[in-house]
Amino acid sequence: MIEFQDVTLAYNSNRVLDGVSFTARFWDRLAFLGGSGEGKTTILKLLLALVRPDSGRILVDGEDIAGLSESQLRHVRRKFTIVFQEGALFDSLSVRENVAFCMREQGVLSEEEIEEEVRGLLRKVGIEGSIDLMPAELSGGMQRRAAIARSMAACEPRMMLYDEPTTGLDPLTAENICDLINELSAGEPPDRRGSIIVTHDVTAAARVAERFLYLRNGRITFDGDLPGLLNTDDRELKKFINALLLVR
Amino acid sequence: MNLRTLLAQAQDYYVLSARSLLGIFRRPFYVRETVEQMDYAGPGSFFIVILVSLFIGMALSLQISTELSALGLKMYTGKIVGISIIREIGPVAIALTFAGRVGSGMASELGSMVLGHQVDMLRVFGMDVVKKLVTPRVLSATLMLPVLTVIGDGAALFGGWYIAAFVSHQSGSFYWGQIADIMNFNNIISGLAKPFMFGFLIASISCYMGLSTRGGARGLRLSTTTAVVLSIIMIIVTDFLLTQILFLLLGMQA
Repeated sequence: MIEFQDVTLAYNSNRVLDGVSFTARFWDRLAFLGGSGEGKTTILKLLLALVRPDSGRILVDGEDIAGLSESQLRHVRRKFTIVFQEGALFDSLSVRENVAFCMREQGVLSEEEIEEEVRGLLRKVGIEGSIDLMPAELSGGMQRRAAIARSMAACEPRMMLYDEPTTGLDPLTAENICDLINELSAGEPPDRRGSIIVTHDVTAAARVAERFLYLRNGRITFDGDLPGLLNTDDRELKKFINALLLVR
Repeated sequence: MNLRTLLAQAQDYYVLSARSLLGIFRRPFYVRETVEQMDYAGPGSFFIVILVSLFIGMALSLQISTELSALGLKMYTGKIVGISIIREIGPVAIALTFAGRVGSGMASELGSMVLGHQVDMLRVFGMDVVKKLVTPRVLSATLMLPVLTVIGDGAALFGGWYIAAFVSHQSGSFYWGQIADIMNFNNIISGLAKPFMFGFLIASISCYMGLSTRGGARGLRLSTTTAVVLSIIMIIVTDFLLTQILFLLLGMQA
């Protein structure tokens, strides 16, 4: 269980989150919607304790993670994995080395086993043919696929976190990425792996999520399902959705 | 920036420096990363260090032999050039060159990794960022700068010899004889102790600034510039302090 309890955070004098509270289960498929700079990515960073809240509590399986040290956080972070907006691949390593990175660091598998695992993961995300390429040689969509493969190699995460996974991609590639996200979270609750996607792409969110939360001025102003989102009375949210659907 | 922020940053820097040193003795040992960093810092800097040192030696020899000629003492050119290069100018000039090339590279590389969320990824993967990224850089700089200093000193002495022999028309063998005379324990220790400290300072400051990068391209420019400027200031200040300490330890008097 993930719980945000009245979380606030400011960068210098700019208050990004102002009393954010929500709960989610590890098998939930959530989408955080909102405009740029509304603190969507910050929610993911708080969940991984990459940034600490100014006040409020963040509980993961009942444990408040805000006060934990980096070494104490390891077991918490193992429950998640994240795919950042631009992939965050290590640019001095090839696709193979990126995906193998964590497995090599853990030092459990032999090189042959790692190679087999890497190829399997790249096959799953559909870019096995790019195994020897460097990140700079990949398109945006391929970079995100490689990043997803690397995240999957890290451990057996209970929940996948995606930061703007379809931003900047053409509609077809964006659809493929959504299919991949769905594939990785396939199954029935509570046995499936959950996902949290933060995006301003309502179409992508509608493809992969079952619950939608809208962030505005540092607060969650909507929390509900897709019909509720599309039929909202909130004028600002309506404007946001219509504008984006029109663009798509 | 207020005093509280400054003190907090100083504390963060000291903690990072201490953890980077402790990382040398704790598993896992990132041997591949350390060797890569040593290759970048050492052999990658040979050309620029030799070039800079050669011209410093030539300029110094020219200045000294001209002044000594007026006094009829130009036969001492080798001795004065040698002492200046080995004890003081060599370690400082090469450290400044190193800060410009390697320190700025470290700060900008780590800064890009911060901005590109690669450092965040390492933390998500459960890795110790200081051990993985800072320790190999600190170790490589601390080990490679003394090597570069020896090479640079050699190039500077060679430049000094060229001017002494072919411009100032002195005996080359007498020049090298004087260099051999000043190669005693005190002078060698004075010249070789400093680069270890300079290498550590350059790498730790540059890594700290790189990992503190915030705010896109502008933030990256700021952290890289600050890393080089702080390194230069610390080299000059530490050089004076180390000179005082070494004088005290080696029983040398001003």
